[in-house]
Amino acid sequence: MISGVEKRLGILGLLLLAPWQAWAQTAPWDLQTLLQQMAEVQSVSASFTQTQTSPLLSKPLASSGVLSYKAPAYLCKVTLAPIHETFILDHQQITVSGGPHDQTRVFNVSDAPQINGLVGGVQAVLSGNAGTLKQLYIAKFDGPRSAWELKLVPRSESVKKLVQSMTIYGNGRHMTQMKTVSPDGSVTDMQISETITLAH
Amino acid sequence: MRTNRWTLLLWVLLLLIGLVVDASSDYRTKMSNFLPHSAPLAQRVLERQVNGGAASHLLLLSIHGAPTPVLATLSQDLAQTLRKNHHFVDVMNGDTQSTAPLQQFVWKNRYLLSPNVTPSQFTVAALHSALQHDVGLLATNLGPVLSQSLPADPTNAVMGVMTNLRVPGTGPAVQHGVWTSANGDAAILLVHTNASGFDLDAQQRDIHFIQTNFDKIRSKTVGAQSTEIGLTGPGVFGVQTRDIIEHDVTLLSTLAILGVVLLLLYAYRSPRMLLLGLLPIISGAIIAIAVVSLHFGFVLGITLGFGITLIGEALDYATYLFTQTSRREDANDTLKRIWPTLRLGALTSIVGFSAMLASNFAGFAQLGLFSIVGLVTSVLVTRYVLPPLVPHQFYAVGAGNIARPMGWLIRHRRPARVVFLLAVAAAVSILLMHRGPTWDKNLMNLSPIPPTAQALNVKLSKELGIPNEQYFAVFSTDSAQQALQESEHLGSLMKRLKTRGQISAFDLPSNVLPSNATQKARQSALPTTTVLQSRLHQALVGLPFRSGVFAPFLKDVAAARAAPLLTPADLPPALALRFDSMLLRYESHWVVIAPLMGVSTPALVKQTLSAHKIDLVDLQQQSNVLLATFQHEAVMLAVVGSTAILILLWIGLRSIRRTIKVAVPLAMAVVLTAAVMTFDDAPLNIFIVMGFVLTVATGSNYCLFFERAVPGDPLWERAIPAIVLANLCTVGAYGLMGFSDIPVLHDIGMTVALGTFLSLIGGAVMSLPRASVQA
Repeated sequence: MISGVEKRLGILGLLLLAPWQAWAQTAPWDLQTLLQQMAEVQSVSASFTQTQTSPLLSKPLASSGVLSYKAPAYLCKVTLAPIHETFILDHQQITVSGGPHDQTRVFNVSDAPQINGLVGGVQAVLSGNAGTLKQLYIAKFDGPRSAWELKLVPRSESVKKLVQSMTIYGNGRHMTQMKTVSPDGSVTDMQISETITLAH
Repeated sequence: MRTNRWTLLLWVLLLLIGLVVDASSDYRTKMSNFLPHSAPLAQRVLERQVNGGAASHLLLLSIHGAPTPVLATLSQDLAQTLRKNHHFVDVMNGDTQSTAPLQQFVWKNRYLLSPNVTPSQFTVAALHSALQHDVGLLATNLGPVLSQSLPADPTNAVMGVMTNLRVPGTGPAVQHGVWTSANGDAAILLVHTNASGFDLDAQQRDIHFIQTNFDKIRSKTVGAQSTEIGLTGPGVFGVQTRDIIEHDVTLLSTLAILGVVLLLLYAYRSPRMLLLGLLPIISGAIIAIAVVSLHFGFVLGITLGFGITLIGEALDYATYLFTQTSRREDANDTLKRIWPTLRLGALTSIVGFSAMLASNFAGFAQLGLFSIVGLVTSVLVTRYVLPPLVPHQFYAVGAGNIARPMGWLIRHRRPARVVFLLAVAAAVSILLMHRGPTWDKNLMNLSPIPPTAQALNVKLSKELGIPNEQYFAVFSTDSAQQALQESEHLGSLMKRLKTRGQISAFDLPSNVLPSNATQKARQSALPTTTVLQSRLHQALVGLPFRSGVFAPFLKDVAAARAAPLLTPADLPPALALRFDSMLLRYESHWVVIAPLMGVSTPALVKQTLSAHKIDLVDLQQQSNVLLATFQHEAVMLAVVGSTAILILLWIGLRSIRRTIKVAVPLAMAVVLTAAVMTFDDAPLNIFIVMGFVLTVATGSNYCLFFERAVPGDPLWERAIPAIVLANLCTVGAYGLMGFSDIPVLHDIGMTVALGTFLSLIGGAVMSLPRASVQA
């Protein structure tokens, strides 16, 4: 699923980023390399479909929506179906709006470390911020460039009550899937298809 | 001699009776006793709330001086230490333990507390829609959190309780798991003490415990060496005030007594005379306390403190006597000679203070009676008890030296008069050009609490999101349950006011604890287990929930149906505090005091509430009214007292011309003092006005002596040291009071010291006859 933007960017990118591409091909493929490459990402927009199991439910719940990211610290998840909900993490501020109660709540990440634990990892990976990532999680990186996986286990006890582990799957600079396992046994599986704009 | 013995016996007997009455008197220190008898219920209740109510149990703590993570560690460690001490009911610092009791209480009792619990919430259709809603919630990011509470609370009863309990305002910021100031430069804790703010010994113990434990924790914490803790709250204020007053009163009164003793010793060269000089004022105080106690049934602390100040001129009576006896004149003869002047001088003071008797304020009325009885007793003791006790041919050796500068002034009184008049003219122009408010409008400026301590309290209250409560809806009922039911009715009225934008938020006791009737109604709205089970079964049709998921719901509803009704004793500390500050027993009534926030149109709100027989009390206005009443009374007392003094002088001197000669220097002294006290556009306050009354009472004695002067007469020459010595004692004692930081001591001290000194100078340069003194 390659959009027109990326096609054009690809052609430009071949010319503009050729030396860098060459370097990247030869560098060893590890978490550090991934994060360095991610740091080049200026913005991402993506659509997602998600299935969520719950110990309370006899069948998984499906939802879908769009994601967007702007470097260095803006992350937005908009669930479009079945219920409209917007979740924005912008630097230190979290805004949640919509949902079944149709309320808007704004708070600081320091007020809600658990919620930050849910999304802070994604933000850290996208911005290539190794420091934050290691501060929040024990990270385990595996797999080749075309099919890497990064398993994040929260360090904080309060975050662990929400998220047991979070595994991000990807191909090169693209995130393709994210799987979150909660201590109550529920599993959230998010399939992502991204469009990336790189910094010049 | 026989009469003398009987007089002495009578005096000793009266003193003994006085002492017995004094010892068994009821001494009261609370400000509320000072309030007018006619104060409305709301004002009296509010005053009690402010000065000893539930909120007086709160201490606000702030730790600052290090990066936020260090402050957070200190906050956690301090909170844990304080929680182990049973003197603290509740210690909140924003961690999970701070809110756990509240959360547990709400969760456990949600079906009795939640306004959402109505029969219509438990129909099949309503249950189905609630469950559908729950499915939506599970699909959100917070789904995993909800899977723990949802099986027990699918109708979200907890949400209804939390909406009711939500405090208006944002509350403090949370950083690193604890409450902090907005920018994180301070960690904030809220401590609820067992002791009320008025139990000063307990408050001091608790404050000391906090400080010493903070010091211990700080020394063990890395990077915390430069941190400091700030404490504030009614208890801290109480302890600080007591400390400041104790310090000032102890230090200044010791210095004053030392100064006066040295001065009198220099003048008399006799310790015996020094002690004799105290007899009139001590007798006056003993009898005055007894009479006040017998008449009012109790004695205010303030009466004791001020009363002694008011009858301070009684010290002068003995001075007038002791410095005018000579080798040729016995004390008895001296007294007979000066008695008309002394009597008129004492009478002017008595008449001046008697205006206070008519005051609406119990405090002023007591002070009036105290000073009248005290002065009458003192002057009688001086007249009938002292003379036989003075040794034959006693002569105050040092008095002449003390009065020497005054002799010089009297010799040069013509040029001095010009200087004095110029000064008065300057003072008048300063007073006329006075800009800014005449009166000090801020009640807190009269408080002995230092401004920095007041500022810390304002800052921390703001950081904690404690709203500045100014308006209260107040009503009283016969029982607590009736109060709660009416509070529930008021709730819907308040919501209407909020929708109309007339208020932004409100709180009610029934938000914290519903009435028994409402709790019972909620219990009966809950279906029986069998009914609920079958309805739930139907409601779950078509929804993806696993079977048996909602067993906790069935169990909790069944438990709530049979649960005993909640009482105030069941409330966790934080809620109990809030509840007790809004519903309290006053005499035989139960009074609801509900705070209203963001009142945009007080007049409209007042009108709406009064239609339901509810008062809207404006705390700011109440305190303004109280202050204005105080000021009005003080000025009235001063004016009535001064007029009475003028009339008395006119009667006593039987001449308008002579009366004017006494009154003019006094008036000039007051004008000069007023100009100094209000220099640089400083406002007046009631303490300064009380100082004027004291100045006139004491200063009139000097002016009377000067007016009766016969320059050149050796007997009159002896009178000058008497007046000078008396004035030096007054200026010394009051002048030292003027060094205090406590507004009441500072203002009265400065005013009286300056006023009486200027009365002395004024009397010397203005009242003396034109003929020059033959040296």
